[in-house]
Amino acid sequence: MVAVRTTNSPTLPDNPRHGIVLEALVKWAPLLVLLVLIAFFALMEPRFLSIRNFARIGISSSPALMVAIGVTFVILMGSIDLSMEGTVSVSAVLFAFAFLALGGTLASLAWLALPVALIVGAIIGFINGLIHIRLRIPSFMASLAMGFVGTGFALLITGGDRIRIEDELFRSLLTVRWFNFPIMCYVAMALVLVAWFIQSRTKLGRNFYAVGGGEELAHASGLNVGRVRIMGFMLAGAFYAVGALLAVGRIGIAETATGNNFMFVSITSVVVGGTALWGGIGGIWNTVVGVLIVNVINNGMVVIGLPGFIQDGVLGLLVIVAVFLSTDRKSVSFVK
Amino acid sequence: MFIKKYIEQETINRRDLLLASACGLGGVAAAGLLGPGMARAAIQDPTIAWSYRNRTNPYWNEIVSGGEAFVESLGMSKDALVHLINEGSSEKSLADVKALLAKTNGDLALAIDTNDAPNARPVVEACVDAGAYVSTLWNKTDDLHPWDFGDNYVSHMSWSDEGPAEQTARILLEAIGGKGGVVHLGGIASNNPAIERLNGLKNALKDYPDVELLDAQPADWDTQKANQVMSSFLTRYGDEITGVHCANDTIGYGVLEALRAEGISIPIVAYDGNPQAVELVAKGEFLVTVFTNPHWGGGITASLAYHAATGAFRPSEEPHEHREFYGPTIMITPEDALEFKANYLDSVPTYDWTDFWGPSNGQIKYK
Repeated sequence: MVAVRTTNSPTLPDNPRHGIVLEALVKWAPLLVLLVLIAFFALMEPRFLSIRNFARIGISSSPALMVAIGVTFVILMGSIDLSMEGTVSVSAVLFAFAFLALGGTLASLAWLALPVALIVGAIIGFINGLIHIRLRIPSFMASLAMGFVGTGFALLITGGDRIRIEDELFRSLLTVRWFNFPIMCYVAMALVLVAWFIQSRTKLGRNFYAVGGGEELAHASGLNVGRVRIMGFMLAGAFYAVGALLAVGRIGIAETATGNNFMFVSITSVVVGGTALWGGIGGIWNTVVGVLIVNVINNGMVVIGLPGFIQDGVLGLLVIVAVFLSTDRKSVSFVK
Repeated sequence: MFIKKYIEQETINRRDLLLASACGLGGVAAAGLLGPGMARAAIQDPTIAWSYRNRTNPYWNEIVSGGEAFVESLGMSKDALVHLINEGSSEKSLADVKALLAKTNGDLALAIDTNDAPNARPVVEACVDAGAYVSTLWNKTDDLHPWDFGDNYVSHMSWSDEGPAEQTARILLEAIGGKGGVVHLGGIASNNPAIERLNGLKNALKDYPDVELLDAQPADWDTQKANQVMSSFLTRYGDEITGVHCANDTIGYGVLEALRAEGISIPIVAYDGNPQAVELVAKGEFLVTVFTNPHWGGGITASLAYHAATGAFRPSEEPHEHREFYGPTIMITPEDALEFKANYLDSVPTYDWTDFWGPSNGQIKYK
């Protein structure tokens, strides 16, 4: 899973033009994989290629996309965050409690529950980062543990109950459609742009790449690496909370199980999209493509009528193929 | 998701191996020690414990709340109930039981779901050896019977889901006028209740030749997964789907929302009788759900173990249908949903925890 990059690739291709073509291919491979998958499913079942189905894929992708974008920031830094399931559950449940306590409809003060959820997500991320940096615990372990704490906490405050959010205004995230797509798809797209802005136009975004590309170098250049990492975890936490809000919007229920499955889907999406687990390579757009690949596969397999027991296996194989196609093995000296 | 499944699979396989070798050696030696008449004098004040998966799941939450209600009925605080949480690990389940047996010196009344069927035997044997009293719920192998262990293996309760699932299917098939297409969203494919509930639907379909089972896919008892599977079904079958058969309520919620997103309203039947599902039945959004009264099941399992331990009754004097029996099933339809809600959900009924078999559903039959 972890790989070491050589700073100066010793295996430069003999023909520079060949190298450029290869580089472009690797860069665009995830998108190619996505297009091939869409073409494949469309060929097997023409109904796959309908606007209504794309809206369905959009609905299932939106919450996962937010979570995957959050973890992308952390992975870009060469760390990993596995707290998403707990963070999503806690944010969803606290949002639901605050929402109902403040009036139960977006038309009242209850809209304040939206920023509350984001702050809760960021706080959990902050604690993650603090444990990782101050206690010097690997991010893998710190965040996994925090994820469990989150799930436990969500269970504690709900007592195992599910909380229904029935407000028509909030549920319009799902029920109201503009140009065939529900509002939640547009919210997700808007946040993709926000994330892209953070990644490419802010100092913080550049620092993520600096830390992921070479932590010692970044440190030697005077960058407060610990601070950048904590900021990264906070940002990730806030995006998990957005994912939680969309997940609640999608089914109208907040519960401890709201966070289920997000870990597998988001990490898989990030990796399939071509963002390297060792940091410094990839970004938001890779993740967008990755999430779409995973959701197109999930949707497509049911649409073409593959039996359930084959689906998991096919998804696993496709993940390997996608990662194989989208990783530039030339820049990696060894993988362990 | 994979990883979890894979690990589960692996741990089960590893354990099976250990079990097989342990049985080979220990089985011979143990055979002489066991048998009726081994039970010792009644335990004055046994520790009462419930061993289960975890409380995240609303179903298990209900089970354990029944256990707590029983403990409170004895005049103790509900904290007096000891919780052994196995988190889906049979090893942990067994290890926790052994630890508690050692701690209580066998003065234990244990209610347990052993997480998987093969784990029931070592758990029961550990309890019997220590002189504790155990009642099991859901999981046990077909060759393990309470009456083979004298008084100490008090009882086993389970539910057969095939019959009730067939009934919900019939209600669905009638509602769609006996023609059209239905889809089924199931539980984790390898789970016994998931298999039984799908079989129930298939049994009912035999009498409705004009209804086609368009597709059946696992939704893993999960609302979000069900939501995604249902939207994919809509792409594949569109208007051909005239009814939806769900393996449980949590799946039903996901289906309902997937249909709401598209502005579609077709009959949905569910299973489990969770409070929220009952409300949906009352509103007419679900056609029917099945209540298995987990609260009573959790309470009575603990009560049976407790009362056997204190000597209030001797299990070995009871007939077989009092040792292995099916739990209750109640169909909840729109007509009786409100009444049911008032009686069972808004106020949890106070059960007579010494009426051990009143609501039960007959002796367990093996195929």
